[in-house]
Amino acid sequence: MTRILVDGVEVDVPAEYTLLQACEEAGAEVPRFCFHERLSIAGNCRMCLVEVKGGPPKPQASCAIAVKDLRPGPDGAPPEVFTKSPMVKKAREGVMEFLLVNHPLDCPICDQGGECDLQDQALAFGGDSSRYAENKRAVEDKYIGPLVKTAMTRCIHCTRCVRFTAEIAGTSDMGAIGRGEDMEITTYLQTAMTSELQGNVTDLCPVGALLPKPQNFRARPWEYQKTETIDVQDALGSAIRVDARGREVIRILPRLNEAVNEEWISDKTRQVVDGLKAQRLDRPYIRENGRLRPASWQEALGTVAAKTKATKAEKIGALVGDLAALEEIFALKLLVEGRGSANLDARQDGSKLDPRFGRASYLFNASIAGIDEADSLLIVGSNPRKEAPVLNARIRKRWLKGDFLISAIGEQADLTYDYDYLGAGPDALARFIESAPTASAKRIVLIGQGALTRPDGRAILALAAQAARKHGGLSEGWNGFSVLHTAAARVGALDLGFTPGQGGLDAADIAKAGVLDLVFNLGADEIAIEPGAFVVYIGTHGDKGAHRADVILPGAAYTEKFGLYVNTEGRVQEALRATFPPGDAREDWAILRALSGALGAPLPFDSQKQLRAKLGEAHPHLLRLDQIGSASAADLEAVALQPATAWKDDFAPAITDFYLTNPIARASATMAECSALALDRLKQAAE
Amino acid sequence: MSYIIRFFTWWNRATLSTGLWTLLYGERVGTDEFGNVYYRRRGGKKDKALGFERRWVIYKGYAEGSATPPGWYGWLHHTVDTPPTQEKYAPKEWELPYRPNLTGTSAAYHPPGSILAEGRRAPAGGDYQAWTPEA
Ligand code: SF4
Ligand code: FES
Repeated sequence: MTRILVDGVEVDVPAEYTLLQACEEAGAEVPRFCFHERLSIAGNCRMCLVEVKGGPPKPQASCAIAVKDLRPGPDGAPPEVFTKSPMVKKAREGVMEFLLVNHPLDCPICDQGGECDLQDQALAFGGDSSRYAENKRAVEDKYIGPLVKTAMTRCIHCTRCVRFTAEIAGTSDMGAIGRGEDMEITTYLQTAMTSELQGNVTDLCPVGALLPKPQNFRARPWEYQKTETIDVQDALGSAIRVDARGREVIRILPRLNEAVNEEWISDKTRQVVDGLKAQRLDRPYIRENGRLRPASWQEALGTVAAKTKATKAEKIGALVGDLAALEEIFALKLLVEGRGSANLDARQDGSKLDPRFGRASYLFNASIAGIDEADSLLIVGSNPRKEAPVLNARIRKRWLKGDFLISAIGEQADLTYDYDYLGAGPDALARFIESAPTASAKRIVLIGQGALTRPDGRAILALAAQAARKHGGLSEGWNGFSVLHTAAARVGALDLGFTPGQGGLDAADIAKAGVLDLVFNLGADEIAIEPGAFVVYIGTHGDKGAHRADVILPGAAYTEKFGLYVNTEGRVQEALRATFPPGDAREDWAILRALSGALGAPLPFDSQKQLRAKLGEAHPHLLRLDQIGSASAADLEAVALQPATAWKDDFAPAITDFYLTNPIARASATMAECSALALDRLKQAAE
Repeated sequence: MSYIIRFFTWWNRATLSTGLWTLLYGERVGTDEFGNVYYRRRGGKKDKALGFERRWVIYKGYAEGSATPPGWYGWLHHTVDTPPTQEKYAPKEWELPYRPNLTGTSAAYHPPGSILAEGRRAPAGGDYQAWTPEA
C-alpha cells in the first residue's frame, strides 16, 4: 500500500494501481475514452490528464502512469495528484478541442446520441464553444459485418475495439491503418468480423463510430423501458438488459455480472431480438383433417383434455425443450405425473446426464468464475467457442494470464487460444487417464454435450469423472468436474427431475412412431417426433415442433414472462418480463394450469406466487436466487465407478451452427444472415 | 327546395342579385365540361369600375373556386381572350383530366403515414409477424 494525496484527500492504494484508479478510490472523477478496466492500457486519447507533484512537471495521462512511478517529497510527504487544478482544466479543454476538431457535429442523426461518452464529456469537461473553422477530416465508412454499422468519421481512435478483438475475443479482427491524421480503423480488407462476441465493440465504442446495425435509427436511449433480466440463448444465463419501446423489444445489452458474463454477451444473445417478433404463435391451433386451423382457447384446451382423458397413462409422454423456465417444467411434471405417466424427458438431444447420479454429475462444478483460479483445463467433446462464447472468453482470459495448460479431446476447432490436441475420441480420454501431460492441483475437466449425447454417453461421463479424480480435478475444496450445457432449461429440468421415472421412456423412445398416443411437447424443437402420436405443442415460435403438432397452445418467450432458470453451474436466476406475449399467447405455466382445470384435476396453484411456493417446498434450493445450490463431490466418486467401456467413435460437435440453435434464433433474420456468412467463410476456408 | 337554397345561400350557383345582373347584362360565352356557365358583359362592354371587360362564372351546384378547369381559368382571369370553346386545342394523351381541389373531401390526398389515410398503417411497435400453418 502506498499513500497518495488526491486533491488533498489521502488514500492508501496498492503501488501498482494507476493514478486513474487511485483517483477513483479517492472519489475524484477523471474523464477517459481509451481506458477500460478489462482491456490493456493504450494511453492514446489523453483525456485523463492530471497534474502531479512528485513526477514530471507536465500533465500526465493518469491511466498510463502507476502510483509507484511517483516520488515522495523530500521530507517523505506523499506524492500528490490534482484533478481540479487550472492546469488540468485547461489540459482537458485542449484535448477535448482537438478531439472535436475532427469529430462531426452530427449528434442529431447519430444513434449514440444520449448515451455518448464524447457528448457527456464535452459538456462536462470541454470548452464552451468551437474555435475551429477549417474543413473537417472525413473517413469512408467500412463494412465490418452484418452486426456492426460504422460511421468512421466519428471515430476518435481510442482503439478500444482493436484491443477488444485482440485481447478478449482473440480474433484480431480489427486494426488501425495509416498514421496520424490518416489513421483509420478497419477490418482486414473490410471483411466481416469473425468473432462470436463482436457485438460488444458497439458497447465499447465511446462514440457513435461503431453502432449495432440491426438497431439502426430505431430508437433513442431515453425512450427505452429497461428490464434487467437474464439470457437463455446458451446455458450461461448471462445478465442482460432488455430495452423495449412500447410493446417492442428493440435491443438487448449486457449487464455486469462478475460471476457469469463479466460485461460481455454473445452475438446471439444480443441480436436475437428480431426473432422475438417473427414466426410467432399468437393463437391456438387445432389440426383437423390434416390441416391446422385457428381455434379458441376453450376449444383447444377442451380437445386436449378429451384426448388426455381418453388415453391410458402409460401411453402419455412429455418432452421439455431448451428454453423452458422452471415454472412450466414443474407444472408439466405435476400434470403428467398426476395422470400416472412416467414418460418424461427434458434431454431432447439424448444426453445421458441423469439426476440419479447426484447434482454434481451434471453441473459446471468449477463454476464460471472458478476458471480464473484453475491451473489447467481438459476439454472433452466440446467447442466452448460455439457452445458458450462468453465462457470461452473467460477461458482465454485465464490462458492469457499464463501457466494454464489446455488440452482438448474432440473437435479440433479454432478456440482463440492454444491447446494440446490429444485426440478425437474416447480412447484419447482413456490415454489421458493413464498419463496426464502435466500434474495439476486445480484442473477443470470440461465435458461438452458432444461427448454425452451419444449412446455411450454414460461411459464417457464415468471416464471424465475418473480423469478428474485421478488428475487434480477433485480435491479438498476443488471440484473441477464441469459439464457445459447448451440449453438454458436443462439444468433446471434435471434439478426438477424431469427425466424418465420408474419404467418410463426417454426422449428418443417418446419420439418413436407408434410408441405413445399422446405427447406433450413444451418447446422441444430439436427433436423429430415421428407420426402416430397426438402431439400437443406449447411453444412460442412456428418451428419444427409446431409443424408436427396436432394442437398448438401459444406460450410466452423468455422476455415475456417471469421465470426461473438454472444456469450450467447451477445458479438460479430470474428472468423478468419486458413485454407481453403477442396476441392470445399466455404464460406457459398458466396454460398448463388451465389445461389441468379442463381435465378436472386442477394443479395446486392459482398464481405464480403459489406455484413458486410449491416449487420451493419440493426443491428449496431453486428459490435461492443467484446462488449455486449444494452439489456433493462424493457423487462423482460413484460416477467414476460406473462401467466405462466407451465406443471408438470420435466426438461429434454438439452445435453445428452457432447462430441457429433454437426456435427464436431460427426466426431471426439477423441470425440467418450471420449463419450464412459463417457458412461462406467455412466453405472458403475449405477451398 | 332549390328555390329556398337559391334564396338563402350564396355558395350554391348564383345569388338572386347575381342572377338578376346576369339576366340583364350578361352574355353567355360557353360552358365547361362540368356544366359551369361563363359570362361576360354583353357585347364586351368595358366595366366602369374595372376599366376592362368583366367576366364571371356561375357554378353548377356548389360554388368552389378551384372547379374551373385551366382553359376557362385563363379566360376568366384575362390571361387569354379566346375562350377555350373557340380554340382548337386538343389535350395530349398524357394530360390527365382536370380534377377540382379535393382537400376536405374523403378523396383528399394523405401522405404515407398519415393517420387519416385509409387502408394502410405505419408500422407500430407491438407488431409481430404471426406464424401461419402453410398447409
Ligand atoms: S471505432 Fe470506436 S472503439 Fe474503435 S477506435 Fe474508433 S472510437 Fe474507439
Ligand atoms: S484514458 Fe488515459 S489516455 Fe485515454
